[in-house]
Amino acid sequence: MSYRTKSLALSAVLAALALIFSYVEAMIPPIIPMPGVKLGIANLVIIVALYSIDFKHAFSINIVRILVAGLLFSGLFGMLYSLAGGVLSIIVMGLLKKTDLFSIVGVSMAGGVTHNLGQLIVAALIVENQKMFLYFPILLFSGLVTGILIGIAAHLINNNVSSLKEKVH
Amino acid sequence: MIKKADIILFIVILVFGLALTFLCFTAGDKGSYVDVTVKGDLYGSYDLSKDQVITVNQDSHTNKIIIKDGKVQMSFSDCKGQDCVHHKEISKTNQQITCLPNKVMVTVRGAWEGGYDVISN
Repeated sequence: MSYRTKSLALSAVLAALALIFSYVEAMIPPIIPMPGVKLGIANLVIIVALYSIDFKHAFSINIVRILVAGLLFSGLFGMLYSLAGGVLSIIVMGLLKKTDLFSIVGVSMAGGVTHNLGQLIVAALIVENQKMFLYFPILLFSGLVTGILIGIAAHLINNNVSSLKEKVH
Repeated sequence: MIKKADIILFIVILVFGLALTFLCFTAGDKGSYVDVTVKGDLYGSYDLSKDQVITVNQDSHTNKIIIKDGKVQMSFSDCKGQDCVHHKEISKTNQQITCLPNKVMVTVRGAWEGGYDVISN
């Protein structure tokens, strides 16, 4: 299979998987009942894509997932928050990965934190209240913890799923 | 699997987060005036530096608010719960005493915020 075909097919499958994860996430009752504090299992797919395909594809998968999940589950405002968080975190993760200094866990950790930061920036803009940032420490720590957990899971997946192991290119 | 840079980044984020948390808990500046609202409408604004007793009369309810030494306290309320009366005195910006049954809310404000609220509303 050509690189183009294979990466396109893989992207489509991963986008669908990410969407399912978004759905599953919406169904799990929140462990800590605070808006914005969640596991972010859909990001697991994005990180796997980032490592097994490339930044461009991971970015696209993320955008597709957020737009469709927004339309299906979370509504327009939810979509806006996710979009800000998703775009910021994937860019940061892409850059960190490029430096080659960080492991997949570190990259995921930074992604978790910046995802919450992006959401909060949009929330502060919409509500027009800088006090929203008082909420940031909670989101920062939750992003840190979930990012690490997701990173460990992504590490295990990347090392054990053989079809992902042989990189597309 | 874990690299050195990961740990450094982790510590940086952690320290940053702890610093932010610390800031959030200590940030409250000393307020300069007190807003009293009844059912969401502003009842009056009072200077925090002037010792005074404010009596809020509405329909059949009465609340008394005491400002003393830059601190605010709900000294009397004819509500059932009396949570507002037991609330400890407040003095820093954005601290609040709320009497839910009588729908009376006391909020400490800083000087600059009055202007800001007017603009954003």
